[in-house]
Amino acid sequence: MHGPPLDRSAVFRAVMHGVRDAMSLPAPMVAAGLLSIGPLAHAVGYPLAAAVASTLFVWAGPAQVLFFGGIAAGLSPVGIGLAVGLSSVRFLPMVISLLPLLRRPGQSLPELLWLSHFTTVTTWSEGLRRMPAVEPHLRVPYFLGFGHACVLLSAFATGVGYVMTGSSPPPVAAALLFLSPLFFTVSVAAGARGFADAVAIALGFLLQPIALKLIGPELDLLFVGLFGGTAAFLLDRAMRRRAA
Amino acid sequence: MIPPGFEPYLILFFAAVLPTAFWRVAGVVVGRRISETSAVFEWVRFVATALLAGVVAKLLFDPTGALALVPWYGRFGGAAAALAGFFLGGRRQIVGVLAGEAVLLLSYFVR
Repeated sequence: MHGPPLDRSAVFRAVMHGVRDAMSLPAPMVAAGLLSIGPLAHAVGYPLAAAVASTLFVWAGPAQVLFFGGIAAGLSPVGIGLAVGLSSVRFLPMVISLLPLLRRPGQSLPELLWLSHFTTVTTWSEGLRRMPAVEPHLRVPYFLGFGHACVLLSAFATGVGYVMTGSSPPPVAAALLFLSPLFFTVSVAAGARGFADAVAIALGFLLQPIALKLIGPELDLLFVGLFGGTAAFLLDRAMRRRAA
Repeated sequence: MIPPGFEPYLILFFAAVLPTAFWRVAGVVVGRRISETSAVFEWVRFVATALLAGVVAKLLFDPTGALALVPWYGRFGGAAAALAGFFLGGRRQIVGVLAGEAVLLLSYFVR
């Protein structure tokens, strides 16, 4: 190990700080979204444990929806795998931009891979915003506390959703499903740091339906990210040059 | 031979767990080589931000499940109300979420 030995009670407090921050709103919001995975798994005859395992180990709502949707439609596993793979490209830029906050000297590759598993829209957006305020050497325990709270509560929710399949009236089901897009929206708004960020958000939002028409539902988000993100990046550079 | 009852887990692993983990692993491998202060890193953060907004748009424009039963103005009005609630309510996320849900449910019952 490198650096001074970690104070165990400080590490424990950082984990609990992460758990508390997650439970204060983000974790229940993601969990409400993943509640809906239960009935999807139930509909294709998958066992309860497989539904819960999908939340624990895939840990990506849209990928899980695509997976069970594909099984329901009778698609081949290879076709489903490709569609899921394309839908999960977003994790590449998310992990890259979250990593520097979590990098410590002497960290092993398995530790980084373990941390990367917790990257989702919510943990990325909230982590990027909250972690700079956490002391650098306590960010890993903080993020693990935050991530585990989100994953475990969501896995529990998926199980509950499975058992309660078909028992929630449509408005309740719609309201539960709406919690994650609403939370993503306020989370992105809370994390926006300047005008260029706002441009990236606006372009990403407005370009999606156009990209969907032009290049279809598999690659649309990739196009939106590359195009909207690059435009915002160039604008940011131009603005900084003028300010300098 | 695959023991009976194990097939769902096998399909889940190869068609969902692996294809998703691939990009997270790729993020770690590529990210380890990128300096935090480099332009590439800045660019990647903007790409991720635009992508995330695209994810929200996708959920609103092309909803799945019970959300598809809500009229479009309920979904878009709800998202707009969430933003308004967040900024007007002292940048509190919960205020935004509650405002969004109120608009969604209103559109469901009042149409």
